[in-house]
Amino acid sequence: MIEASGLSKRYGDLVAVDDVSFSVQPGEVVGFLGPNGAGKTTTMRMLTGFLPPTDGRAVIDGHDIFSDPLAARRAIGYLPESPPVYPEMSVEDYLLYVSKLKDVPRRQRSGAVDRAHERCGLTDVRRRVIGALSKGYRQRVGLAQAIVHDPPVMILDEPTVGLDPIQIREIRTLIGELAGIREGKARTVILSTHILPEVEAICQRVIIMHRGRKALDAPLADLQRGGASLEEIFARTTAREVVVPADATLEARP
Amino acid sequence: MKHVGAIAGRELNSLFVSPVAYAVMTLFAVLAGFFFLSGVLQFQEYVIRLQSFQAMEQLEELNLNDHVIAPFLHVMSVVLLFLVPGITMGLFASEKTNGTLELLLTSPITIWELVLGKFLAAVAFIAILVLLLALFPALLFIYGDPEWGKTAAGMLGLLLMGMAYASIGAFASSVTQSQFVAFFLAFVLLLVLWMLGFLADLGAAGGATSSEHVGDLLRYLSTADHFEGMVMGLVDTKDLAYFGVIVVAFLALTKAAVESVRWR
Repeated sequence: MIEASGLSKRYGDLVAVDDVSFSVQPGEVVGFLGPNGAGKTTTMRMLTGFLPPTDGRAVIDGHDIFSDPLAARRAIGYLPESPPVYPEMSVEDYLLYVSKLKDVPRRQRSGAVDRAHERCGLTDVRRRVIGALSKGYRQRVGLAQAIVHDPPVMILDEPTVGLDPIQIREIRTLIGELAGIREGKARTVILSTHILPEVEAICQRVIIMHRGRKALDAPLADLQRGGASLEEIFARTTAREVVVPADATLEARP
Repeated sequence: MKHVGAIAGRELNSLFVSPVAYAVMTLFAVLAGFFFLSGVLQFQEYVIRLQSFQAMEQLEELNLNDHVIAPFLHVMSVVLLFLVPGITMGLFASEKTNGTLELLLTSPITIWELVLGKFLAAVAFIAILVLLLALFPALLFIYGDPEWGKTAAGMLGLLLMGMAYASIGAFASSVTQSQFVAFFLAFVLLLVLWMLGFLADLGAAGGATSSEHVGDLLRYLSTADHFEGMVMGLVDTKDLAYFGVIVVAFLALTKAAVESVRWR
């Protein structure tokens, strides 16, 4: 469903992302971890086609993000770090606008917007102006924006950052639900976060980025079987100076 | 091109929910009213003076088009010089500060659709301004008999000039994150383009005969000179082409500037 091969991003001498490859199967929910500056956002931006990679390629739902960008972008629901909303618009108008941008056919638009309202718990505030909403609700609008066209792939960049604990729990549950509901088929999700319990709550697989490289890539179940907590594994992986391939990391575990 | 309408519609809507649109329209209407009234009063005084001198020949030559409408359109074209940057400053700059550019660039739309949508929204707003302005000469049709064709040509000229200004304003907005910078960059670009003709005249007056060709070139590049012809009632394809080239060139630059977010 998501195929990244050899993705690199260099800004002059600075290497933001270095030769990152992974593939995500349909229906998989992958947690993207890593310290700040590890290249999570840059990788996600390359997957969505916002940034062109210096090297490598990304294929979303069978469409190359570079040679077939429109079809690939249609398959993605993307929530950037700050929700891309227009503060002066009402929730309803905004979602209708996004549904137009995302090529939802005219006849299905109002249905798609209603569904997005419902799923993200926005029905009561649909006529409110986004700028007047709380941060938690604004984040919900951001999520609604990502699913309004019912994409097979969701890419969420720190969806719970800056929220209070209750909002975090709500959004987390919501993401879990959104990952599950898609006309019977499960959605493929990549989400980045700093909150490790979040990964344990909703992800099936973990990718840890460190200094622009993929430092670990393993199913959550395997990691938990090892006995170490995710926090320990995270600390150990990101403390390493020389990054070893994912398989080696797994074997090296005590 | 199916997204152009959606993008233009949202842009117009956001213009009209912000105070910018109303501030610009009010300022425009007030200035138009002021200049129109003073033009008409001057004309009246002039007519009375000529009548008292019995200067029949000059009275024959007097007409509303050349002595009221043309100067009025000239003044208003100068007003557009600083109002259009106010309309266009937010086109792209605000998308960048909102973070919504990321939404647009990850949506299945092309950059041309985005640029055209934004441009058309600005043009639609400028068309509203020109219609607002047309109410004043319309009054003259009730109390006098100006020429239809000449007046319409002048209005068209103003609209075309507004379109050219909008494309330049869109470009200014696409190269910066700050609306403030976008405004001043657009204003300076427009001012320079507008003043090129005067620069040429200055050069000629200063006796710089060797730079005659340079003067012609400057005059050709100046918006004011192409507008001039249309106010006189001459809709020349040369002038239409000039405004067309400006619009296409600056929209292409805008597209490149928006795209360059991806290269950095």
